[in-house]
Amino acid sequence: MDTASEYLSLDEPDRSSHLWRYTPWRRVHPTGDVACIPEVGSPSLRLTDLDGNAAPNGIRLEKGIVPFSGLPQNDPITNSFLQAASAGSQWTLIIDPNFSSIGPLLLDIDSGDSSSALHLSLDVGRLSELEIITRVTGCSEWFGLLRTGEIGEGAILNDVVACTKDKGTLLRVDSISLGRDARVRAGTASFGSERTKADLRYMMGESGSDLRVLGSILSADTMQLDHHVEIYHDAPETFSRLAWHSVCGGCSRTVGTGMLRIADGSRGADASQTFHNLLLSKDAEADSIPELEVLEHEVVGCGHGTANGPIDQDQLFYLGARGLDPSDARIALITAFLNSTLSEMGSSTLHDWLVELLVGELESLVLDPLEN
Amino acid sequence: MGQVTPLLEIRNLHAGIGESPILKGIDLVINPGEIHAIMGRNGSGKTTTANIIMGHPDYEVEQGDVLLSGEDLLELEPWERARSGVFLSFQYPQAIPGLQVGNFLRKSVSSIKGDEAAKGAEFRSTLKDAMKALDIPRSFLSRYVNDGFSGGEKKRFEILQLLLLKPKLAVLDETDSGLDIDGIRTVAAGVNSAVRGTSTGALIITHYSRILEHVRPDRIHVLMGGRIVASGGPELAIKLEEKGYEWLEVKSKAEGCA
Repeated sequence: MDTASEYLSLDEPDRSSHLWRYTPWRRVHPTGDVACIPEVGSPSLRLTDLDGNAAPNGIRLEKGIVPFSGLPQNDPITNSFLQAASAGSQWTLIIDPNFSSIGPLLLDIDSGDSSSALHLSLDVGRLSELEIITRVTGCSEWFGLLRTGEIGEGAILNDVVACTKDKGTLLRVDSISLGRDARVRAGTASFGSERTKADLRYMMGESGSDLRVLGSILSADTMQLDHHVEIYHDAPETFSRLAWHSVCGGCSRTVGTGMLRIADGSRGADASQTFHNLLLSKDAEADSIPELEVLEHEVVGCGHGTANGPIDQDQLFYLGARGLDPSDARIALITAFLNSTLSEMGSSTLHDWLVELLVGELESLVLDPLEN
Repeated sequence: MGQVTPLLEIRNLHAGIGESPILKGIDLVINPGEIHAIMGRNGSGKTTTANIIMGHPDYEVEQGDVLLSGEDLLELEPWERARSGVFLSFQYPQAIPGLQVGNFLRKSVSSIKGDEAAKGAEFRSTLKDAMKALDIPRSFLSRYVNDGFSGGEKKRFEILQLLLLKPKLAVLDETDSGLDIDGIRTVAAGVNSAVRGTSTGALIITHYSRILEHVRPDRIHVLMGGRIVASGGPELAIKLEEKGYEWLEVKSKAEGCA
């Protein structure tokens, strides 16, 4: 059965599902008519270093995708829909074995003016080392991004997806498998789009892998940003940390749901997930629901936590006592809150780039600077 | 001879939190270049005095005046007081994860002394010298403000800010608490460097006389039950060290009865 037929054979998911609890499928489908797969365009892609120079040898984009069987826990609706919708836009990011980049690389994806979709396959060679930022821009009404692939044995990858789309909806699905001893930092910097639904899934099916999933989410006005993260430990001595920081202003809403699964036989697994939300206005809303499913007794640790709150008045007073006026103090605290996770996403060069992006977005968003 | 305008003048200050009165009529005058100390037991109103001078929003002033060089401080917001020249070294400085020390110092200096003061070689040189004097390593600049700092690091960081901001009035709220002997000496040297030989005034709030041996205040005041019950020269600290606070309590009660 092809992916379009597979999608059309599925029932619309109901809201009892962890994934669809807050943002129903209908609301992130390109037309809202879930019985159809509309034709959408192709985004434009450009791979460079942070200065805009051509990417070095050893990393390239090629048309077509590497066959990927998918993860056992993938959501069938989004995966089949995005595979079908992006049939005309399939690319593979190939990173040769032992490749090593000096500085971070930038994969720019311009979603264009009209709806578009992309299936990006990641083929990260064994023992490669790199940092890459995938930046999603444009003003399309709808953009679908499916990223599938495998991180090779012993690879060290800092992989950040930064969304600064001007408007519309972003539907993003990651379905990524880590090889033995791979060390991955998977960052999400979400500062744009009116609506985002992201379903990010990671499989740690081989021993020794190390995964840090980091989120830095900024919503304002009436934005709705919903991120679901699933991490599946299915091998001994695997390590994961999920840290998700969201700032919500205006009448916006952020959702962070997490699922941490530790399969039987994953001895020595060490995992935790935390969600922190900073609420800037009375009308902003943040929901965080971490869930655990632990089927192995001999784990090092497995925990979760969430915390929501407004800007801390004692921190504001401290900054005021150092001369910062209320507006500057709030901006400093918002930036600091998001920076806690941004700074963990990679090198200082990558971090500086992300901070610049954040500061630019903060200046353009309405964040009710004096309301609390 | 013209009369000197006091740097800080507190007149008949009554203040508290909500319905609970804490300060019950404080009078205090600090002239430019003077160092005063306030000593007292827990709950006597020492930290309240510091917070009211800085403008903490939780505290309410029922009556009285607080003037900085003749300007009414009570009308100003905390950030305006900071820009007017008031500095508070916090007893418990706030941790701000995600805000790097280096960025924070630049923002603070820029806010209080102007953008130019936070740029260029002069700022870097002042910062370098101050860090060296306080035995603060360069790696400190990339850490987050007070996040994971030891007690001593927090206090040294407060004094680093004092040295960079060069205020008119420095209020040091138990800056010596939790420090070892070397830490007290380092912090005291920082305070002396910021105040001695300048027109900056200081109000040192402390439980112990140890820091006063290194800073040598001009006047010492004892706060008890929200009132200053005794004032004197450095010899008062020695007497308190020897006799404790009980003799003042007895004296205060006797005077109250009389």
